[in-house]
Order: sequence, then C-alpha cells, then structure tokens
Amino acid sequence: MTWLIWVLGAVLLLAAGFGSVYLPRLRARDLRRRSAWADARAAIDSAGVSRDACPDEVAEAERLLRRAEHLAAAGGGAAVAEEARGCAERADRMWRVAAGE
Amino acid sequence: MSKRWPQVRWVFLGLAAVLLVVYILAQRQSVEVSYGQSPSDGNTVEEGSAGELSGADVPSIEAMEGMLRRDPVVRLPGSIAHWDPERVDAAAVGDDVRILVAPPGLDEDQRDRVKDVSNATAVVLGTEVTGDGLGVSSDDLPAWRAQFTVGDVTSQLVALLHALRDEELPNDEDVVTWRAPTAAELDAVAADLRTDGLHVAPEATLEEVPGNAEEGALFAAFPQQPYGEPVPEYGPALAELFPDTAIYVLYGNWVEYHGPLAGEFAEVVGASFYGQFADRLSRFAYPQGNVLHAYLNRVTDVRYAGLFDRPLPYQPFDPLRVALPALPWLFAACVLGFLLLSARPVFGGARAPRRPPARIAALTTLAIEMSALSHHPALVRGIGKLQAARQALADDLPERQVRRLVDDAESELDTAARSLGRADYRPRVYLAGGIS
Repeated sequence: MTWLIWVLGAVLLLAAGFGSVYLPRLRARDLRRRSAWADARAAIDSAGVSRDACPDEVAEAERLLRRAEHLAAAGGGAAVAEEARGCAERADRMWRVAAGE
Repeated sequence: MSKRWPQVRWVFLGLAAVLLVVYILAQRQSVEVSYGQSPSDGNTVEEGSAGELSGADVPSIEAMEGMLRRDPVVRLPGSIAHWDPERVDAAAVGDDVRILVAPPGLDEDQRDRVKDVSNATAVVLGTEVTGDGLGVSSDDLPAWRAQFTVGDVTSQLVALLHALRDEELPNDEDVVTWRAPTAAELDAVAADLRTDGLHVAPEATLEEVPGNAEEGALFAAFPQQPYGEPVPEYGPALAELFPDTAIYVLYGNWVEYHGPLAGEFAEVVGASFYGQFADRLSRFAYPQGNVLHAYLNRVTDVRYAGLFDRPLPYQPFDPLRVALPALPWLFAACVLGFLLLSARPVFGGARAPRRPPARIAALTTLAIEMSALSHHPALVRGIGKLQAARQALADDLPERQVRRLVDDAESELDTAARSLGRADYRPRVYLAGGIS
C-alpha cells in the first residue's frame, strides 16, 4: 500500500508545481485586466462629460468614443481595455480642444 | 512567518525528489522475487583451506600390503572408523576379508596409495567404505548419524560384503545406543551455554560460534564419541532446559538441531546437508566450525525458501531495507511541507483591509464645495475619476491604480479651481489646509 504514497506524492508535487506557476500568473492577468478596464471606464466617463460640455460636434471624437463604448460593451482582455482607453482619451482631448478648455 | 520560509520549501522539494530517486533505485532489488535468492553466503563446504586435511600419513603401498597379509584388519594411526565385528564376520560368511582402515583427511597422493593396496577387500578411508571398485554410502539420517557420531561403518561394510557377492543388500541395523546425559554432564554443558552460548567439549574442534549463526542460538560441540558405549544424547535434554531456543549439538561431523520448529525443518536440512556433503565429510577431517558453518547456511537456505509458510527467520542487516519502510512517510512529509509552504505564496494570505486614502475623502469634499460654484466639465470629470478610484478600491485593484485615478481627479479639480479663479480651491492648497 505504501507505493500509493509515492504515486500520490508525485502527483501532488506535480500539481503543486503547475499550481504555483499558473495560479499567480492567472491572478496577475486577471488583475491587469480589471485595472485596465477600470482605467478604460474612467476614461470613457471623462470623454462623455467632455462631449456634453462641448458646444460643437466633433465627428472623429464621436466615432472614437462610440468605438470605445462598443469595446467596453463587448468586454475582453487587457489589450482590448487598453485600446478602448486610448480611443476614449483621444476623443476626450479632441472635445476639450474643440471646447477651448 | 519569516522571509526564509518560502526558501525552505525548496529544501523539502529537493529532499522529496532525492527520496523518490532512492525509492525507485531500490526497486531494482526487488523486481524479481524468487525463492532462489537466499541470503546465505554460499552453500558449499569450503574447499582447500578449510582444514580438511588431517596431516596424518600412511605407509607405502608395499608396507600396507604386508601388514594386511599378516592381519585381516589393519588400522592405520589416526583412523576413526569402527564396526561391530560380529555382524561383519557374519556377513563375510567365512570368506577371507581383509580390511584396511585409514585416517580421514589424507591428501590426494596418500589417498591414491591407500586405494592402490591390492589385497584389501574393503578400504575404510575416514568413514568412507570402498572395495573392489564399489563405494558404499549411507542414505538416511540414522545411518549418517551413526557414521558421523561414533564412526560406525558396520552397515556399510555389511552392505559391501553382500554387494561383492552379488547378494541382496540387508537392511541397516542401528548399532549406536543412546542414553540420557547424567546430571553432572548436563550441568557442565548448561553452565557454558548460559554464559557463552557455546560449549566446546575437550577434543571438539569448534572454536567459536560461526558468523552466520542466528542471534541467541546455543551451540554444544562434542568430539566423535567412543564406539561401543551408549552416547549421551544432549539434544533433547538441552531442549528441555532451554525451551524456545535454537540449539545446535555437534558430535564430530554430525550436526543436529533442537529447538522451536525443529519438526518442520531439521530433518529436511539434515537430509539435504548430509545427502550432499556426507561423501566429503566421511573422507576428510573438516574442523567442526566449517561443518557447522555450512550446515547453518543450509538452515538459512531452507528456512528462507519459505517452505513452511512462516515469516522469514533471518535477514541479513541491510540499511536500505531498514530505511525503506520509513521512506514513503518521509517522502509524504516532504511533499506536505512543500505544499504547506507553497500554499502561502500561491493563495496569498488574507491581507489586512485597506484603508482608503484620506485624499479621496478630501477631494470629494472639495468637489462638493466647488460644485455649488462651478459648472466646469473638469469638475464633473474629476468627480467621475474619484468615483472610479473608489470603485477600484472596492475591487481591490492595486494601490498604484487607485493613486493614478486620484491623481487624475486632483488634476481635473485643479483645472476647475483655476478656471474658477479661486486659488484656495486648488487641491494642493485645499489639502494642505488640514483636512487630510
């Protein structure tokens, strides 16, 4: 029966090895994704405020913000969030420039 | 917990790996399990340097032939064989029987000389009986017992004489009589056994307990017993005195076992040992130590062979075998230690609840104060950023993230304050005012 210990122990060690590598990596990726989306959402909110405050219509900014909102609605990884944030920030800047802030 | 602990787990992992390797390598020893792998150290009576030569000498062939012409029975010095003359004479049926008795332990040259004596009907070399090209040997335990205990060759001589006349061989008759040892004899032996576990009678050639003897066994060695007298039978008497103890009693080259489980293997061992070695033992003069050594090896072989469905009695000490049962548990402990120490870094302990930076509260107050005065979009954006920072805090996002969002909010509020023209609402100033 003691041979079971060897098998169980070896399997446990393997599982622990994989676990100790993958779990932190998984958690780090999740954190990166969540913080990227938090940034992206904050940027989209800001862009929305800037749009409402801008008297003129800026078609390019409009398009960029819509794109950012679509990306946010679809969700996805950190890269998608990064792009959504980039779009929203560019739109924000355009509106601010247009509004003459 | 100190910082060292996560490093200690690698020690555990290494140890576990080493144990696993040791375990796997050890498996090589037990892949094949066979009754043939007895741990006895060889099963031959040691040759050559085993002291089987007695150093006795024999006269020349002519001298021996001359002696035989004078006497029907010639006993050379050192000879040990005896027989019952009445039974041999009866078997001779009046024939002229000449018997040459030579000592055991002659070298090859001396043995050839003895065998070349032409006028001997029977040559008794040690206790080996040959004659006219025929050899006679015993084939059961009582016969071997008589042959080696007192040097009795009556049965062999009778059988040889019958064989020489092509007659049917008669049944063996046991001529050795046994008696119980006297109290004085037994006391002397028992006293030695109690102190040393070994009794060596005068003239016995056993010097020490052989190295392959089991722990706690008792050994009593006696020389070959005088012929014609009742032989004291120490075995049963000692077995009664020392119950549950392995007792080996030697008379000359005869070894017998008394003790626990004797009924189960003593006969098998005796029959196989003397069946194989009786020829050599009868011809040579082995020291008792060598005979006993070989006999004990046979005991080990037979008992190890598991013929009797019992746990193995002897196993030579082997550190690996001793450690092997503990190995899995050591391994399991190492695995457990590694897992426990790994669990902390992997799953992460519960962190202390985070205190939201006071800056958020201060900036929120500022934003509320400013909201009565300003309609600047930067104020709204700042409030949005503050909300995002609070959300990030609630989502347990990293400190850096929260700080960046709060910084954004601060710069937005700064923009709003500047456009309002109120320097005292600029966050840097406002925060320095003491709310934080």
